[in-house]
Amino acid sequence: MKALLTMTFGAAILVATTGQALADAAAGKAVFDAKGCADCHYTEGPAREKIIDDQLAKKGPELWYAGSKFQKDWLSGWLVDPKPIRPMKFNDLMVENPGDHPKLGGGDAGPVRDFLMSLTSKDVKAGKVKPKKNPKGRQIFAKKMPCSGCHEYVGRKKKIMGGRSGPSLVEAGIRLNPDWILAYLQKPKVFKPVKMMPVFVGLLSDKDMLNVSRYVANFKPKKKK
Amino acid sequence: MKKLLTLAAIVALTSWISTSPASAADAEKVYKFYCAQCHGLTGKGDGPNVTKDFPVSPRNFTEAKEMDKLTDADLKNVILDGGPSVSKSPMMPPWSKTLTVEQVDGLVKHLRGICKCKGKQG
Ligand code: HEC
Ligand code: HEC
Ligand code: HEC
Repeated sequence: MKALLTMTFGAAILVATTGQALADAAAGKAVFDAKGCADCHYTEGPAREKIIDDQLAKKGPELWYAGSKFQKDWLSGWLVDPKPIRPMKFNDLMVENPGDHPKLGGGDAGPVRDFLMSLTSKDVKAGKVKPKKNPKGRQIFAKKMPCSGCHEYVGRKKKIMGGRSGPSLVEAGIRLNPDWILAYLQKPKVFKPVKMMPVFVGLLSDKDMLNVSRYVANFKPKKKK
Repeated sequence: MKKLLTLAAIVALTSWISTSPASAADAEKVYKFYCAQCHGLTGKGDGPNVTKDFPVSPRNFTEAKEMDKLTDADLKNVILDGGPSVSKSPMMPPWSKTLTVEQVDGLVKHLRGICKCKGKQG
């Protein structure tokens, strides 16, 4: 009897919490539209870009798979305090990122986060990539392939180094879903049909892609003392 | 007769479409999108990726003397298969899976326009 009660109770909580998350996602969508976020971000897949001009016409990155791409905790923090991700201004090679992304108040950020986290892609398989120090991945990232030429990352002795045309990967380990990194490398057409980053499918083996994803997923910013 | 003319026109048109080379404007767009991040918008090897810890300088395409040492085929190969394919730095990426052969041919012409040089013949 007691077991049954606990079970019913547990189920009730489960229903209540999922119901709550769905309600928050709907509320978040309303805030997203009201705050003009949709002026710069589209939230319905599949990818729309076909040619270079389509990519250059965008005012912000697409968010239709945000729930598969980002880590929830990181997103909560970033929406209220959006620090630059790309060193350069979006779609610009000459101007630094001005760091002027719209901020959300604490009350709005929760629902918007739940809305964005509800936008997932079936092309991201869960549980494939375990973040790990990975010498093979490091070799690919910094030596064999030009990844470090376009991305800031945490190098030896925790030094921040690397190129500036791609998004900074310094916080990749707390910002990105490790499984998304692999899916992004393996299925470039699904997520970014037109982008400045080269396609590596057919140039890196599946194993190499897994190693480099594990390596990137392990980047953590320096702990503040 | 009229039929024949129409036919000729169609044949001419289709062959024109299928062989129409990527225009110079297209090549410039492709260059600015993919190559300028390292080689710079005007080709001087000074894109935003070239910070002081960038290991090798990306080729400065305005240096005709250096660019003249390479044939058009050399340029095409390194663009398609990357630096290591010609014993150069892996910081020069392979673009074979990203760009079409037509786009790469357009880029070779565009680079010749920047260096104002014909390149080694052969
Ligand atoms: C004027 C255009 C504009 C508006 C309005 C805008 N954004 Fe953005 N957004 C951007 C740009 C540009 C970036 C890239 C920022 C960076 O790299 O630092 C970005 C990045 C993001 C990211 C990270 C995406 C990624 O792939 O890196 C999220 C999440 C996001 N915005 C959410 C929002 C929300 C929520 C709102 C509404 C409160 C909003 N944005 C309003 C332009 C905009
Ligand atoms: C020529 C420059 C270039 C090279 C080389 C390059 N990237 Fe990128 N990368 C980019 C750009 C630019 C983007 C952003 C694409 C966009 O959002 O349109 C990107 C995006 C990414 C992202 C997603 C980041 C985010 O927050 O959206 C990851 C992960 C990534 N690259 C990893 C790699 C790895 C691993 C390699 C090497 C195998 C690599 N990159 C090589 C330019 C490059
Ligand atoms: C991530 C940075 C990067 C990007 C993006 C890049 N390159 Fe390069 N490129 C380099 C570097 C570095 C070198 C010099 C390699 C060396 O000297 O070892 C180079 C060299 C070259 C060379 C000369 C090769 C030789 O034999 O001397 C050509 C031609 C070239 N790049 C064309 C291109 C074209 C066309 C594009 C765009 C499709 C492009 N590159 C994109 C970094 C880059």
